[in-house]
Amino acid sequence: MKVLVLGGTGFIGREVARRLSSQDSTEVVVASRRAQGSPAGSSGISVDALDQAALTRALEGVDAVVNCVAGDGGAIVQGAETLVRAALDAGRPRVVHMSTMSVYGGAQGLVDESHPTRDDLGWYGHAKIEAEASFDRYRQAGGNAVILRPGCVVGAGGVDWVGRLARLLELRRLGDLGAAGDGPTNLVDVADVAQAVVGALALPQSPNGAPRFNLAAPDGPRWNAYFTDLAIALGATPVRRLTARAMKREIYLRGIALKMAERLAGKLGARVDLPPAITPSLTRLWSQQIQLDSGAATRDLRLSWTPYAQTLQRSVDWWRGSPS
Amino acid sequence: MIESAQVHADGQTLSCGICIVGGGAAGITLALSLIGKGLDVLLLEAGQEQADAASQSLYEGEVVDERMHSPTDKYRHRGWGGSTTIWGGRCMPFDPIDFEARPQVPLSGWPLSLSDIAPFYPQANAYLEAGHFEYDARDAFDPPAPPLIAGFASPSLSTEGLERFSCPTNMGQRYRARLAVAKDVRVLMGANCTAVHLTNDGTRVDSVAVTTSAGAKLRVTASAFVLAIGGLETARLLLASRDVRPAGVGNAHDVVGRYYMCHLAGNVGRLTISGSPTAVRHGYEVSPDGVYCRRRLQLTPEVQRWLGVSNLIARLHFPKITDPAHRNGVLSGLYLARHFISYEYGKRLNDGHGKGLLHELRHLWNVLTHPADALTFIAHWIRKRTLADRKFPSIILRNRTNRFSLDVHAEQIPLPESRVTLGTQTDALGMPRIKVDWRYSPDDIKMVERTLRRMADEFAASGAARFEFDPATLEDDLTRFGAYGGHHLGTARMGSDPTTSVVDANCRVHDVSNLFIAGGAVFPTSSQANPTLTIVALALRLSEHLQQLLAAQVLAAMDRDAA
Repeated sequence: MKVLVLGGTGFIGREVARRLSSQDSTEVVVASRRAQGSPAGSSGISVDALDQAALTRALEGVDAVVNCVAGDGGAIVQGAETLVRAALDAGRPRVVHMSTMSVYGGAQGLVDESHPTRDDLGWYGHAKIEAEASFDRYRQAGGNAVILRPGCVVGAGGVDWVGRLARLLELRRLGDLGAAGDGPTNLVDVADVAQAVVGALALPQSPNGAPRFNLAAPDGPRWNAYFTDLAIALGATPVRRLTARAMKREIYLRGIALKMAERLAGKLGARVDLPPAITPSLTRLWSQQIQLDSGAATRDLRLSWTPYAQTLQRSVDWWRGSPS
Repeated sequence: MIESAQVHADGQTLSCGICIVGGGAAGITLALSLIGKGLDVLLLEAGQEQADAASQSLYEGEVVDERMHSPTDKYRHRGWGGSTTIWGGRCMPFDPIDFEARPQVPLSGWPLSLSDIAPFYPQANAYLEAGHFEYDARDAFDPPAPPLIAGFASPSLSTEGLERFSCPTNMGQRYRARLAVAKDVRVLMGANCTAVHLTNDGTRVDSVAVTTSAGAKLRVTASAFVLAIGGLETARLLLASRDVRPAGVGNAHDVVGRYYMCHLAGNVGRLTISGSPTAVRHGYEVSPDGVYCRRRLQLTPEVQRWLGVSNLIARLHFPKITDPAHRNGVLSGLYLARHFISYEYGKRLNDGHGKGLLHELRHLWNVLTHPADALTFIAHWIRKRTLADRKFPSIILRNRTNRFSLDVHAEQIPLPESRVTLGTQTDALGMPRIKVDWRYSPDDIKMVERTLRRMADEFAASGAARFEFDPATLEDDLTRFGAYGGHHLGTARMGSDPTTSVVDANCRVHDVSNLFIAGGAVFPTSSQANPTLTIVALALRLSEHLQQLLAAQVLAAMDRDAA
């Protein structure tokens, strides 16, 4: 089987390409905007995911494509639409599309795949909901698509949910938030996401619509516990307890200052390594009582989830070894 | 889901799988642990989310000796979160010896051992935000914390045991959001349970009666009922439910309300430590997970058995606040501010004796002559307590003199004559008010005395410190403020013999097959430990038992249907 991994040099795409390459039966082509190093056993090509003609050429002779392209809202929506058109032209390969839990918006409680999407959390969720709709149309046009909805992806290379948090913890700007950090993390190890792609490629054709799968380890902690465990593993102790007042200061004083500094640096063309900002959307997520039900992935994608302790260790090892 | 009981009309019957009465430490723990189990849980909270004076006044009652016990509406809170809204946050597990039948403590011995509860302590610790379940000072700190007293070591007197402090966490506020989104747990606010109605043969609970804060009367039926209403209310509700069993529910052997225990506590004696003040760690350490921890002095179980004493811990404490002879500006400031401090926390600043103007002036003099002390203290207090979510647990003063008293916290012997009964008055909902007659035994004082003597011997033998106390004033030292407030234990004690206990090892009322009790009421003995952590751990154990029980009942019903 020949599989094209779009966005194959990013955090998730790289792990997917590596995992697929390790199977003897799979030939992997890693596609990214700028051809970069591809994992052993795969080949790399340079493709602009918004260029339909180029994408159609890249899909020739390909059995399946995994869409791990990241980007801004326009790129996400356009990228999905372009991929669908190219795939229809190129003989309808199977598509595995990397979506996100953000399509559930501000939903709370135990959320399985039948839960309606909610476009109430800004551009990212909005774009991801639109992108999913493209693959439903692909399915209606006779294509075969599977949509994966991971929670917060961690593990080696997890810039957002390991690196950024680790920096904030080391700076003592993050810690135990009490009720404000009581939301479930819905953590998923990037290795499990790659494993889910393998399962999705082996899934029998579904009769109606593109099947969706939530991806979140069933033993994932809540944010407070994750922050505490991460901080202790990094030696960023004693863990601070932060009040709602302190978090407001973070958002409205430091957050705004950091955004202004970022813009200023951009205007001046300077490359500065600014500390991460804590945004209102982050604090909203940390208190959101949303628990992804990933029973369907366990059952149909045959996932055996990486235990939390191991995921944590991998994440910490990567952060410690990574040049910051 | 959280809603007001007022959405239900008068006369309505609500049905559910498990009915939990009370939204405090035990009830909220049960409800949280049952989320997502599909058991259809209904939690009845008598009070409201905000403090409500009308609701709180339903707790008023009678105290036989007011010097010996606080008024019954103090040290407990009738409202969402229960007494976790006002608690001090001190957590520690029970010791293995607490579960043993010990000849020196008549009627001691649990039908459980520590190993039955141990699996639930880590989760209990997490719910109470007391960090990791690590209560040994040798393992709790990184880098390791210095000893309590450098140079003091004794094979009989341990200084490695810790107490860890909750924020103190108000469980109502802290976990509200989880319960609000839960689909299989309903919380009803303003739902006062006024009676437990048994079936005619008395073997099961048929329903509980509820009066809403608006006066509507409801009925709740369930497969299982759990009373999680604190040690005083448990006795009150069981005794007041007399329609089928005239002596009250679970009271066939006149045990309900008896064996009422608190703790004996007080500041005792003078501990003089030799060497430098920097060699003493009398205050708090902070664990890597950010929790305030403090070392305690405790005789080893072997020595407790050998001496034939009850369980007791002691902490290094500053001298008596009320005596201006300490010449400490901070302590005198607290003494002078005592009228502005809440009843529960100001109690020990009022020792009940008017001391006159000169006494007050001497305290004022202490404040005026030590202004830096007071300002430093106030700044620290505001930053680390008033403005902090994880609050600095108590007042710790700089040690300049190496002179302390011992702050003692001891278990007491369960006595049948120490009891909670129904009084003659009724409250606004027509329920009889309670009457509390707390007692202690002269043997309690003797055992504390033997323990303290042994501690003194150990200090003397080490040469690191000297401890002196006056046995003649010991009883007064331990009972000056009466029973230690807020620990309402033993009124529905656990045991295997129904003639001396109310519930079995699974917290089930002996002769009522679907009635369970969660909370300090079930403790047959009181331990040295503050009760909340163990209340939460026992609630988690009960939750697991109920899940197994109801799953088995569902299977049995399916078998019956199939047959």
